[in-house]
Amino acid sequence: MIDFARVQKELQECSKDVEGSGIRVAPKSDATLARLVGTIPGPIGTPYEGGTFQIDITLPDGYPFEPPKMQFSTKVWHPNISSQSGAICLDILKDQWSPALTLKTALLSVQALLSAPQPDDPQDAVVAQQYIKQHQTFVSTAQYWTETFAKASSRGIEEKVQKLVEMGFPEAQARSSLESVGGDENLALEKLCSG
Amino acid sequence: MEDFLSDDDYYDSGRDSLDGLENEDSGPQWVPSKGPTCKVITKESLLAAQREDLRRVMELLSLREHHARTLLIHHRWDVEKLFAVLVEKGKACLFKEAGVSIVEHRDLDAPPPPTVMCDICIEDVPSGETTKMECGHCFCNSCWTEHFIVKINDGQSKRIKCMAHKCNAICDESVVRNLVSKTNPDLAEKFDRFLLESYIEDNKRVKWCPSTPHCGNAIRIEDDQFCEVECSCGSQFCFSCSSEAHSPCSCLMWELWVKKCRDESETVNWITVHTKSCPKCHKPVEKNGGCNLVSCICGQAFCWLCGGATGRDHTWSSIAGHSCGRYKADREKKAERAKRDLYRYMHYHNRYKAHTDSFKLESKLKGTIQEKVSILEEKESKLRDFSWVNNGLNRLFRSRRVLSYSYPFAFYMFGDELFKDEMTNEEREIKQNLFEDQQQQLEANVEKLSKFLEAPFNQYDVDKVMETRMQVINLSGITDTLCQKMYECIENDLLGPLQLGIHNIAPYRSKGIERASELSVCWGDKVNNSGKPLPPHCGSTADPLLMLGGTTESDQPSGSGSSDETGYAPRKRAKTNVPGGGRFDLNLPADVVDRN
Ligand SMILES: [Zn+2]
Ligand SMILES: [Zn+2]
Ligand SMILES: [Zn+2]
Ligand SMILES: [Zn+2]
Ligand SMILES: [Zn+2]
Ligand SMILES: [Zn+2]
Ligand SMILES: [Zn+2]
Repeated sequence: MIDFARVQKELQECSKDVEGSGIRVAPKSDATLARLVGTIPGPIGTPYEGGTFQIDITLPDGYPFEPPKMQFSTKVWHPNISSQSGAICLDILKDQWSPALTLKTALLSVQALLSAPQPDDPQDAVVAQQYIKQHQTFVSTAQYWTETFAKASSRGIEEKVQKLVEMGFPEAQARSSLESVGGDENLALEKLCSG
Repeated sequence: MEDFLSDDDYYDSGRDSLDGLENEDSGPQWVPSKGPTCKVITKESLLAAQREDLRRVMELLSLREHHARTLLIHHRWDVEKLFAVLVEKGKACLFKEAGVSIVEHRDLDAPPPPTVMCDICIEDVPSGETTKMECGHCFCNSCWTEHFIVKINDGQSKRIKCMAHKCNAICDESVVRNLVSKTNPDLAEKFDRFLLESYIEDNKRVKWCPSTPHCGNAIRIEDDQFCEVECSCGSQFCFSCSSEAHSPCSCLMWELWVKKCRDESETVNWITVHTKSCPKCHKPVEKNGGCNLVSCICGQAFCWLCGGATGRDHTWSSIAGHSCGRYKADREKKAERAKRDLYRYMHYHNRYKAHTDSFKLESKLKGTIQEKVSILEEKESKLRDFSWVNNGLNRLFRSRRVLSYSYPFAFYMFGDELFKDEMTNEEREIKQNLFEDQQQQLEANVEKLSKFLEAPFNQYDVDKVMETRMQVINLSGITDTLCQKMYECIENDLLGPLQLGIHNIAPYRSKGIERASELSVCWGDKVNNSGKPLPPHCGSTADPLLMLGGTTESDQPSGSGSSDETGYAPRKRAKTNVPGGGRFDLNLPADVVDRN
């Protein structure tokens, strides 16, 4: 069984430091703590700078004794992240996982991976080849993807979600109603109020 | 034949399947034994075998058992290698690499605080419900237990690491056992079994016997892993690849050969070489004549080279209104080549199969020949010793196997698949002639030997029986020599000069595949304080063949192929043999012994 008491504590701990780390973790819905969404800011000085990346988190039954499953839901161009599926190649999410690690530390490691790609152990061979052989092209592609998939609209939505949360609505509901009305704050608010 | 009989041809196992092979005509040559080289490890002796190595490491390094086990598992139970690392890198490095931490924790003296915060479940837990591992990391017992359960279920019993991030320390097995057995006794048992079987699974000197259904045994060898062994269940196998004994074929060649024989790729090849599908009805059509116009039963004519439909009007060199362009020569070459490869394979396979089929009939042949011997024995005659019959028969079986496996060897040795770039065509031709000459000689003599043994010698008069005897003895000697020479030729002249060192071949054993003997473990006496490795088989009962050594071969009963039960060490030795207390009882589980 998942140790939900610990997950709950982890979420509290993480929300205390959002200002400092920029890392957020929130349940996908109110129904369960087993499916979460993590958010990390693209590291400064990388092609991911300015982007906000969302990561789908699924906790296995054995959590925290088994590693959480993490996958980018925001498209990202990186040698160790599948450009198709968002799958992440990171040792601490596999055999180097330790129960002493948390979702936050894992997300920090993912963020560190964005700043320090390891093309020798690629998840996406095409990206890795480009990273090694045509580095400039790689940088501009990664920037373009950040621009297209991780910025503007999604950042806008983050802010709007935050606003609605501050108004007292649960984050997941705020997010889904915003998504359902195409990002219009007022329509989303109406929707949340009506039911 | 003296010149090629080295010490290696003899080993002193009383359970030799070819006992009494040499008879007085070739001269008994008892060479000092160098001790049996392979052992059977049964379910019963596994614990003892493991503890023998554990004890060496525990004594040399003054370690507790679980530390010794962690070190040995890390070094795949190679005690010599472990000692070498110790000498080369020192104790600290040896321990660190393997995840052994022997640190004195000063804070153990200080009174523990009433509660401790467990970093895993993030709860305050009474100190009594926490466990501090040797690395110094302390977590609550229920978190530890959960961690152990996940790891054991994940098949990682042998190396359960501490829960702290980046801590490389291996958890104390007694802590694992104690905590897990409280909630999950079945799993604790599984954990112990995994630890025990690690001795087999992580050990390059030990392999499970590949018999099916599995006999439960494993075989341990002393030095050369390129050897062939026989388990006490009777199954013979190649130690390095665990498939059937296949020398003088190398493991790689054998693997390729088995695959080749299994795949019907060759039959598919045959169809592509000999038939083409009709462009109209798609039935395969065989080429029937010399020219390249073929016609299908549906009436469609087409060009054999490109498969395109054509009219019927043609000459030898062209088909009216049809030209098939530039691939013509290439296609022809390809087809020719595939055909050649196929014929080549069939050539080797037929011979391989003929000999394999013959040795599959061995037991039947043995039966009929033994009948003939008993008829002769009943006759009132001055002939008493018929050991030559069995010796000849065993030689025949042994040589047939060599011959049979020599064909897949030759197929790869002189084919393009493995050594194309390692030999020039001329070199290859010279080598092939050399080898085939030996192979043919061996084949001829094996067939002759077989003929004499299958003859109705039980109906012969005394003189003719004596003559058959001489022939069988002579031919046995010759085929033995030829087999030996073939292995030497392969090792020295064929494979030796090549770059690729991956083709290792089990050495030829004149007496047949070595049968592993029962493991006999050193008992408590003569505790090895010096730290030197223990002698290879101290404490075993006298070797049966050493006892036989002084007697002559003819004293052995004839017609009893192998003397299975003679001088056979008992499975378990009585505990009462151990004098004094405080000795290990090797029949008890490790933790019981530790408690004493
Ligand atoms: Zn805990
Ligand atoms: Zn530790
Ligand atoms: Zn067996
Ligand atoms: Zn092999
Ligand atoms: Zn047709
Ligand atoms: Zn014709
Ligand atoms: Zn054509």
